[in-house]
Amino acid sequence: MAHTAAIRRLSLLEWFKTITFYEILVGMKATLSHLIHYKPITLQYPHEKRTLPDNYRGMLALLRYDDGTEKCVGCDLCSAACPSRVIRVVSAEVPAEPTKRYSKEYYMDMTRCLFCGMCVDACPVDALGMTREFEWAVYDKRQLHLNKEQLLAIGDRSFPVREKRLELQHPNVAFFNVTFKHVPRKPN
Amino acid sequence: MTELGLRLAVSLAQIAAVMGIVMLTVLFLTLAERKVLGWMQDRMGPMEVGPYGILQPIADAIKLFFKEDIIPAGANKFLFSMAPILALVPALIGFAVIPFGPDQTIKVFGISVKPFVISDINIGILYILAFTSIGAYGIILGGWASNSKYSLLGGLRSAAQIISYELNVGLAIVGVLIMAGSLSLVKITEAQAGGFWHWYVFAFPAPQIFAFVVFVISSVAETNRVPFDLPEAESELVAGFFTEYSGMRFAFFFLAEYANMVLVSCVAAAMFLGGWNAPYPGTILGLLGLESFAWAEGVAWFTVKVYGFLFLFFWLRATLPRLRYDQLMKFGWKVMLPIALGNIVVTALAVFIYQQMK
Repeated sequence: MAHTAAIRRLSLLEWFKTITFYEILVGMKATLSHLIHYKPITLQYPHEKRTLPDNYRGMLALLRYDDGTEKCVGCDLCSAACPSRVIRVVSAEVPAEPTKRYSKEYYMDMTRCLFCGMCVDACPVDALGMTREFEWAVYDKRQLHLNKEQLLAIGDRSFPVREKRLELQHPNVAFFNVTFKHVPRKPN
Repeated sequence: MTELGLRLAVSLAQIAAVMGIVMLTVLFLTLAERKVLGWMQDRMGPMEVGPYGILQPIADAIKLFFKEDIIPAGANKFLFSMAPILALVPALIGFAVIPFGPDQTIKVFGISVKPFVISDINIGILYILAFTSIGAYGIILGGWASNSKYSLLGGLRSAAQIISYELNVGLAIVGVLIMAGSLSLVKITEAQAGGFWHWYVFAFPAPQIFAFVVFVISSVAETNRVPFDLPEAESELVAGFFTEYSGMRFAFFFLAEYANMVLVSCVAAAMFLGGWNAPYPGTILGLLGLESFAWAEGVAWFTVKVYGFLFLFFWLRATLPRLRYDQLMKFGWKVMLPIALGNIVVTALAVFIYQQMK
């Protein structure tokens, strides 16, 4: 018999194990032991929430100084750093002070955000922050297209302790589009 | 005329009671299965509706009742509507011959009634086998009438599987029938009275332990349960034969599956594990002088056995992966069938020799 040659003969023990469903019984013992030593790893989510790690990266927010003014200087570095093109900044001069700039409009399309935190790293004045909010499920995804007021509101409720406004800021950051009087002119 | 009316009323009351109990059991099973499965997998199961999720079956029933009932385009409307009924009715109709408790007769308004069996017909087990075969039509027609590839594949698989395994169920119980000498489930149960060593799994002269194993495995396959759930293999066929069903029609298939589980458990308990007989001779309540309440003990034992089987169904589902189709067929025809046939030969010889010796 050529076709039966490939079939290995079972040893007596293997044969006994086969006819008594030994392997299946081992598996059933395992499931039963889980039933008896019932210790669920389930977290009843809306009722109980897990503790987040310290460096948790949640919803993005725009921050203010302690006197209520916006930190953002409209430098556009966040949108440059963003890998998913979430951020759109429209920069403008502060009306009364022509040497200072701010973001006239600031939009974040959170449907695209992947929460990498590179915008927060890129910001030279720490105007962006990552909150610990994550429950941002909405019925209409247009609600995830956030404007400046919404982002500032998120920052207000997530960061109650605000940074003190610095009197002196780095000139490269605080002053855009102006010649620096203390820097010598280039000889040319 | 009044006697006929009274008989009809009593029978209908009995039927309503049994149907009610079966439906309640099915409702409970849907919850119990999810809970037991969850516990075995270190989960909690349903927890939201009611305390510890105990009202989940009611929520499910309400949800299914109010869901839209869709008939897919191109489906055969008549058969599509017919199939769930064809699946559910045979599953429920089998309970007519199951003895739930001791074979007593009580007088109600001058009519003698057997309270624990609706109808003690003398071909009880044959009747159950016949009707469960009709249940297969519900599944096959449901799969065919849906006008869907997945449904059709599920229906075809179900046809092949049920034909293969019903044969084994039929042959596995022949040993019991030889020993009991009757097809009536009441008589079979009564023949096993007087302790667990009289149950047909262990009974002298031919213990039906192999037939019992074959019967249990084949009945798992016949009710389309894991590990033999090829007709509704959700990882291969979406949902198998009821892919296109929704709302109450889906609920009918669902009820049919669970009712079939209960029915098969009842038959296994009655045929092999002594039905309502306690594993010791007599009854404890009888010894305590409460002979008139001894039926409660019988019913309790029957319930325990049936729920033991149902737990086994859940346990297998939590443990085993699905068989491949060729493994299923090979197992049915090359392993189960020879064992069942061999069991018949051995049992027949043993019983014959035993009777000659006596």
